[in-house]
Amino acid sequence: MSIARFSPFELLLLKSRSQVDTATLLLLAWVLVHRQHVSEGQRRRRLAQVTAQFRHGHELGPIMGIAHSQDLQAIQLAAEVVRKECSKEQSLSVLHQAITVATDDGEISLNNHYILGFLADLLNVAPTTFSTLFQELTGRPLRSAEDPSRDAYWQVHDPEYHARKQRDAQAAKQKAKDAQTKAEQRQRENKHKQQNKQHQKDQAQHEQAQRERTKQQQEGARQERARQEQARQRERQHWKQEKKRPYSPPDRTHRALAVLGLTPGASRTDIRRAYRRMAQLHHPDRFYSGSEHQIALASARFQRVKSAYDYLMQNI
Amino acid sequence: MRDLYQRLSLAPGASDQAIKNAVARCPNSALRQDAEATLAVSEHRHIYDNLHKTVSDIGQLRARLGLTHGAHWQGDVANDFSLPPDNAISRHDELIDRVSFAVSLHNRWQRFRGPWLLVTLFAAGAGIGLAFGLALGLGLGMG
Repeated sequence: MSIARFSPFELLLLKSRSQVDTATLLLLAWVLVHRQHVSEGQRRRRLAQVTAQFRHGHELGPIMGIAHSQDLQAIQLAAEVVRKECSKEQSLSVLHQAITVATDDGEISLNNHYILGFLADLLNVAPTTFSTLFQELTGRPLRSAEDPSRDAYWQVHDPEYHARKQRDAQAAKQKAKDAQTKAEQRQRENKHKQQNKQHQKDQAQHEQAQRERTKQQQEGARQERARQEQARQRERQHWKQEKKRPYSPPDRTHRALAVLGLTPGASRTDIRRAYRRMAQLHHPDRFYSGSEHQIALASARFQRVKSAYDYLMQNI
Repeated sequence: MRDLYQRLSLAPGASDQAIKNAVARCPNSALRQDAEATLAVSEHRHIYDNLHKTVSDIGQLRARLGLTHGAHWQGDVANDFSLPPDNAISRHDELIDRVSFAVSLHNRWQRFRGPWLLVTLFAAGAGIGLAFGLALGLGLGMG
């Protein structure tokens, strides 16, 4: 057995003329401590008023001191005493006193909301009885407690915070936008300058080239005519030699390569790679969430790519 | 009312930096928003901590008094602040035990006071006589 000293509340309880009243006093003082916007003197006066008929026979000061120190063991002891000794009527009157102490001006603090719930459970009072009692005493229904662990609570109780947050977010966005537009502008200016320089150079070159070209054109025309005649003759001979080979105009190969985004002279591996990429890009399954029109367009493009690839694979 | 500290796996007295880190790490976006609005602003956190202390006190009291399943203790609060039942004995029983122990001590003292008084008186008298005799003997020897 522990031979600890008796705590102040235990001593008070032992000296008291009525243990229930002392215990109730501590619980009421606990409720009062959690009332907001009330001075200490007002608290004591209120406690004295409510407990005028109590028969405890000791000072209220030490009780308030214990309640202020939030001594859990003392409160537990008081709760046990109250639960043991209170009859049904007495427990209702205790709850009545607790509600009046908690809500003089109608407002009940969040802490007291939970404390009153605890007292109601302790005294075996059903929620319906409790809410009707609350309504009778304060003239307003008992609402469920608000929840300060949620964002919604602070939107109601501290709108300034949210306004500030929004403003900050907007300012940050604006800043980012400004920075972007500035960067773009700078880029554009640079490009413009470069273009101007290039343009001047080009013009100078162009003029020179034109002068030379006019000289060359006259000679070139003559040479070309001769060349064309030679080519025609060669083609005729070629035609005669390879009549059995299937006809494949180079123009079509060029177009097929262009469809795949390649230049003439591409190897088979290049073509295969390009085809894979284009097929992935234009596959109609990529547009299954789009409109039917989009899907139709995609499948047309895909068909074109596929036929170009097939053609190139056969002929190169 | 939820226990944000528990949900973010923090201690109730965690530093601002620890809270910031835990909020950033939190995968639930709704909880992240709530925790940011509640714990990141010092005034909000002060109000929340005040309520948190009261509610966790009530949770402890309910566990000790066997009231963890009361009609007024439901929803988020009951989920987050209910503790496992406490095996500590009732404070009232403890008080009664201590009072009865004190009473038995008192009674024993009262009962044995007569004989013990005689014994102590005799011992005191003998002690004084011995001391006196010794002092006298020493005085004679010196003289």
